[in-house]
Amino acid sequence: MNLKTTYSEEELVYLLQQRNENAFSYLYDNYSGALLGIVNGIIPDKEIANDVLQNVFVNIWRKIASYDPSKGRLFTWMLNIARNAAIDELRSKGYRDAQKNQPIGESGEVAGAVTGPAVDDVGLKKVLGNLKSDLRVLVDMSYFQGFTHEEISRALNIPLGTVKTRIRSALLQLRTMIQT
Amino acid sequence: MNTQEYIQSGILESYVLGLASDEERREVEDMCARYPEILQSRLDFEKALEEQAFANAVQPAPNVKANMLALIANETEAPSITAKEEAPVKKMYWLRYAAAACAILLAGSVYYNIVLSDRNKALRKEYDDSVTALNNIKEDIQVLQQNNNVKMAALNGTPASPQSFTTVYWDTTSHDVYLLINNLPKPASDKQYQLWAFLDGKPVDMGLIEITDKPLQLYKCNKAQNAQGFAITLEKRGREDVSVPGGDVMVVSKL
Repeated sequence: MNLKTTYSEEELVYLLQQRNENAFSYLYDNYSGALLGIVNGIIPDKEIANDVLQNVFVNIWRKIASYDPSKGRLFTWMLNIARNAAIDELRSKGYRDAQKNQPIGESGEVAGAVTGPAVDDVGLKKVLGNLKSDLRVLVDMSYFQGFTHEEISRALNIPLGTVKTRIRSALLQLRTMIQT
Repeated sequence: MNTQEYIQSGILESYVLGLASDEERREVEDMCARYPEILQSRLDFEKALEEQAFANAVQPAPNVKANMLALIANETEAPSITAKEEAPVKKMYWLRYAAAACAILLAGSVYYNIVLSDRNKALRKEYDDSVTALNNIKEDIQVLQQNNNVKMAALNGTPASPQSFTTVYWDTTSHDVYLLINNLPKPASDKQYQLWAFLDGKPVDMGLIEITDKPLQLYKCNKAQNAQGFAITLEKRGREDVSVPGGDVMVVSKL
């Protein structure tokens, strides 16, 4: 029986790195919803997003020993594992095949690139809707679709340096939007 | 050091969201270690992001936790196979031996299946990785082919290397030259490929080619937009004058 109901972040990290299963169960109960929200921003299909979430926690368990608090908060670390897993899924053959029935732009535009805010967007993606469209496309391609700056530069025919500065300025705007 | 300028550059946000390059990551880590106000700004953003994620949490499906815990339990516990067999009739020793043999065979089969399944998973991952890499290249090539300023030339193998085949794309406006290595054998360790452009009938050095796992490589050459053709030669590694070709021509485009 687990009497303790809350852990500080330091305690949690310590116990997780000791491979304490109660702490891991607590981690799941407290963070799975927030992380699923992150995955969902990239993979809208609920069933696939849940599969990805399952892998995210397996990865967290496998990699927890390498987590270094000086490089970022525990949630930030997990957020990046979640985002990477979602983007891996987005780029997997299975996911691509499943999406083939859906209409994609014929003009060669990058599949899924946002052209406007969608009504059902949530979380960061919804905040993204408040950006100007040229910045929105850049953040969508880099954060939500995992394209490198080089790939974006080539796809949109914008110089690499411009891609980088525009993405940074977009992220600063996003920050002011969520940091109230 | 103007820390405010650094904080306002957007690099911290890029770092936290996983969009920074390795070099940028090292830089941010270094800056955060040296300047408390930079670290504080990073942490503030991380907290805001976390709060934002919690405000937009999505309830997971009820079976995810159990499935995930089962997967983890499988990883930590080694598979144990115990075979306890009692012969039903005392004097039928052969049955004991047969049962023992069956148990051993079963254990062997289970073990072999685990090995095969692991190998299968590894192959599956390799396959998926290759498909992803291939799709990325296909996308890159699509982008190139859809750009009207980009010209394409197929470089076919010569009698010296009939199986070789590469493709050059060059952007007549940006000077970018992309070399797609469709098929080029790995050279001996003392040899190296070199790319040439033909200008007014003369070969011009475009650069040495390293065969890496990236089949699509980018070269910059400000003369390439007027190129009439391209070729690749196999040269001695480390030769002094790389401005004139010395080795065999392996692939060449029609001029």
